[in-house]
Amino acid sequence: MKIRPTIGLCGLILTLVLGSLPTSPLWAAEDPATAARLTELERQIAELRAQLAGGSDAAPTPDAAEIARRLDLLAAELERLKLGEVAVEANTSLYGYGPAASKVYRKAQGFSIGGYGEMLYESPNARRDNGSASGRRAEIDFLRAVVYFGYKWNDRIVFNSENEIEHATTGGGTGEASVEFAHVDYLARPEVNVRAGLLLVPMGFVNELHEPTVYLGAKRPDVERVILPATWRENGFGLFGEAGPVSYKVYVLNGFRGEGFTAGGLRGGRQKGGRALAEDWAVVARLDYVPWTGVTLGASGYVGDAGQGTTDSAGAIGAGLTIFEGHAEWRWRGLEVRALVTRAELDDVARLNRKLGLGPTASIGETLSGSYVQLGYDVLAGRGAAQLIPFVRAERYDTQDAVPAGFARNPANDVESLTFGLAWKPFEQFVVKADFQDYDNGAGTGVDQFNVAIGYVF
Amino acid sequence: MSRSATFSDLARRFAGGVGLTAFLAVGPAASARVLLTQEEALASAFPSCTVERTTIYLTPAESARAAELAEDEPPSGVVFVYRATCGGVFGGTAYFDHHRVRTLAETVMVVVTPDGKVGRVEVLAFDEPVEYLPRDAWYDQFEGRPLDDELRLKAAIRPVTGATLTARATTAAVRRVLALHRVLGERKPAP
Repeated sequence: MKIRPTIGLCGLILTLVLGSLPTSPLWAAEDPATAARLTELERQIAELRAQLAGGSDAAPTPDAAEIARRLDLLAAELERLKLGEVAVEANTSLYGYGPAASKVYRKAQGFSIGGYGEMLYESPNARRDNGSASGRRAEIDFLRAVVYFGYKWNDRIVFNSENEIEHATTGGGTGEASVEFAHVDYLARPEVNVRAGLLLVPMGFVNELHEPTVYLGAKRPDVERVILPATWRENGFGLFGEAGPVSYKVYVLNGFRGEGFTAGGLRGGRQKGGRALAEDWAVVARLDYVPWTGVTLGASGYVGDAGQGTTDSAGAIGAGLTIFEGHAEWRWRGLEVRALVTRAELDDVARLNRKLGLGPTASIGETLSGSYVQLGYDVLAGRGAAQLIPFVRAERYDTQDAVPAGFARNPANDVESLTFGLAWKPFEQFVVKADFQDYDNGAGTGVDQFNVAIGYVF
Repeated sequence: MSRSATFSDLARRFAGGVGLTAFLAVGPAASARVLLTQEEALASAFPSCTVERTTIYLTPAESARAAELAEDEPPSGVVFVYRATCGGVFGGTAYFDHHRVRTLAETVMVVVTPDGKVGRVEVLAFDEPVEYLPRDAWYDQFEGRPLDDELRLKAAIRPVTGATLTARATTAAVRRVLALHRVLGERKPAP
């Protein structure tokens, strides 16, 4: 292929356009080298204008062909500035890849920044389902303020991190500052890349994609907080990639700390990357398949011990844990449907219960399970940037689906909920959500509640 | 417990295996780079063709018309158009659009077929994290689409969970290009 330039002679228009370059938002943040090139362009334009106006005594007035040639050079320079690295000659060592396969995460070098936040108002019912006082009060919380920092050393090696303050402050023990993830990626090829650091466990929808504009509902789905304990992150390393309609992640991570498990689930066993016990490790793998654009089918599995060196009179408590999860999503025009099912099985629960001194109905679950289905429809779909999405979500989970002999299930942990509400996005990066949640449990102590949240990403 | 010991041993062995696999898989290729330049993109879109670059200067009225059609901000007054001739026959037109996704930029090439529809959309540069880059198949949705009310996210173009900002930015870029192409097509030939 050969590219041939042709020339236009609207010098004054070009001058005006080039004169406006510094106001362009994408160029304004460029480096000093770009600024120098712009200055040089301006100098050349001024020279051309002077020559067009009658010229200086120092230089002979160029003919029309020469002016046209110079304008073409300036136009080409302008395009190079617009396109940045794309216009630069490439090292085309692509291990046999065609150009169409060469879509890569590429920024020459330097920092990137982003973030999100959400504020949540919760107004629980004063009464439980059985008529007793709930004892709960309305609360408004700046739940999360998050900043992403990234740094790119080169096209291959990239760092990214999520740094969060929860509940607005770390004073008084009400909030916490956490690194949610921090990892270095080695981007080798689309099919095989390497990641190491503090990693988000790739299970379910929400754990990895938990920005408030991504999920419906003022609060994250309960199943993805209680059974899959988002935000769930541990230290480790692994591989990720995609080939055609299939993508995968396989990580090796430090395991849970089983001494943190409760009758309410696995959440307290997360080690969150801080001085995590590493006596026991786990493997987690995820596979997603996109048969058609808009349809995703996926599954993930986690296998590992949670004992972390805990012992009793019989010796080490292994606390082997297995979690499986399957998910599906369909997005078509304004419609978005999600479904997820998950189940966890834990070994050595009776020994853990005794070790932790848990009472007859406070056993850690030997089996935990949960599922939900969610349906939303953007009634403004296809009409512009704004979105208005009524939605409904039905969930069921039980953190004590099974308990060891000698212990009893607490029916309060067998929960069903129905959430329905509205999400309004005036533009893609800001959302206002309001919903009502009807909670029922086996003990009749469910507390319904009304929620309002705002969220932003940048 | 024998099962617990098995889990632990499996995990440790797997960790070693993954590390070795990673080294073998990516180690030898570490010095290579993967870039898609403007010239590569044009070559992939118009193989064995002659591509002619033209610099076009829009009038204020044309800029306003393009903005109206795209339902976007007015375009730059200087437009770079790449017209391909393949075997003596007009093969299509390519435009490059550089825009912001989230906080960082993306550059795409949009090829317009001789009948004014999208031929293909190719990503040349993507500065955001790779997680925000839709799969190749997502870009295929644009092929054959004209500039109409259906060319919008959540209309003919399906969104991508987790990459909605990219999807929206790319859809807007394609609308800008088709609008520009239509405006240039409405120009009267020079006398």
